[in-house]
Amino acid sequence: MNFGMPLLILMIAYFIGTHLEKRHFQSILKREDEARGFPVVSFDTMPDNWTASRSDLVSGSVVISLDYFKRVIAGLRGLIGGRIKTYEPLLDRARREAVLRMIEDARSQGYDAVFNVRLETSRLANATRDGKGTAGVEMLAYGTAVKFASRFANAQ
Amino acid sequence: MRFVARQPKEGINVSDTHPLVEAGTLVVGLTAIFVIIAVVLIFMVEVVLYFVSAEDEAKLFDGWLPEDLVTVSYTDERLLETQALVDRLVLHWPDAPYEFRVEIDDSEQANAMALPGGLVIVTQGLLDEVESENELAFVLGHELGHFKNRDHVRALGRGVVLSIFFAAVTGNDVAGIGIKSADLTLRSFSRRQEAKADEFGLLVVNSEYGHVNEAWRLFERWDIKDDSFIDLVTYLSTHPDSGDRVANMKRHAEERGWQSDGEITPLSW
Repeated sequence: MNFGMPLLILMIAYFIGTHLEKRHFQSILKREDEARGFPVVSFDTMPDNWTASRSDLVSGSVVISLDYFKRVIAGLRGLIGGRIKTYEPLLDRARREAVLRMIEDARSQGYDAVFNVRLETSRLANATRDGKGTAGVEMLAYGTAVKFASRFANAQ
Repeated sequence: MRFVARQPKEGINVSDTHPLVEAGTLVVGLTAIFVIIAVVLIFMVEVVLYFVSAEDEAKLFDGWLPEDLVTVSYTDERLLETQALVDRLVLHWPDAPYEFRVEIDDSEQANAMALPGGLVIVTQGLLDEVESENELAFVLGHELGHFKNRDHVRALGRGVVLSIFFAAVTGNDVAGIGIKSADLTLRSFSRRQEAKADEFGLLVVNSEYGHVNEAWRLFERWDIKDDSFIDLVTYLSTHPDSGDRVANMKRHAEERGWQSDGEITPLSW
């Protein structure tokens, strides 16, 4: 009786969470496929012989929450330590979604590539439990979008 | 050579362990670890019991009253008579290491408890429920049986040790718990412990009255009313089924040749 309710929530959280995660990964794969070929690199400079006509800061940010199931399993994992395997897909989704949004930002403004890409993450505190709980994670991807003046001008 | 952009391989940053497998491994593994620790702690309580004699225990818990567990009803006039009854019953246990103290808890649920240091708690619900002195004497004798077998310290020790353990695991304040959470585990005597306490109770009642008539009548009544009396659920859920108990007691009394009929002493209230 006492375990019934949490167990039910756990099961619902698992099924809905798994379904949403699967759908999100499908969407990520599809959009990554579309973005393929658009250069996104972590170099902080362009090759010497390349010239840019304009450039700007672009960013993509996403906030993802963890479901109850992941939280419980991570809590158990926290007792003994080790890889929190249920959080790995969560952060993987966040990273890839943030980068995709950054690419979409750059593309919508007509840029050709993004240089100097960086990823930042931060935990969003939950208002309950004196901010000790985690409401979710924010993943921020940002970089310098560049429009080439003469792309591959000197390349033969 | 022309550069062809390719999709990187999937799953580099994600473990391929299925989340349910991960959950199962953790739950089963941690449960096993907890069970092992709990068993070790319970064993340690037994070790402590071996070294702490009943006399030491009586000294240690002299005048102790767990106020968050028991709400003493000082105004109940039945206290003196119950205390007198316990004192009379103890005469049949000559080398009792305790000076038994009786307190009445103002709970409506019929229950009786044996607490360290010779503290016997009976609830008002129980005193309302019993219909003769013999019935009450048996319940008290049963609690004396727990003292004789030292089940009371065992249960309390287990309760305290386990709640400290769980508080440590869940990160709660260890100092704040103790007797309170031991409340539940307090009652978890095993069937064997209950049966032995029943036998001692019968022995005491037989020595006092010369027969065991009505000793188990309370339980017979409870057995009939099992379904209708919600109040009794707490008592019954921690004690073996009333019907089984009565049958066991009858058999035990027959084996010992104790008379099952005799004069009933009425209660003064």
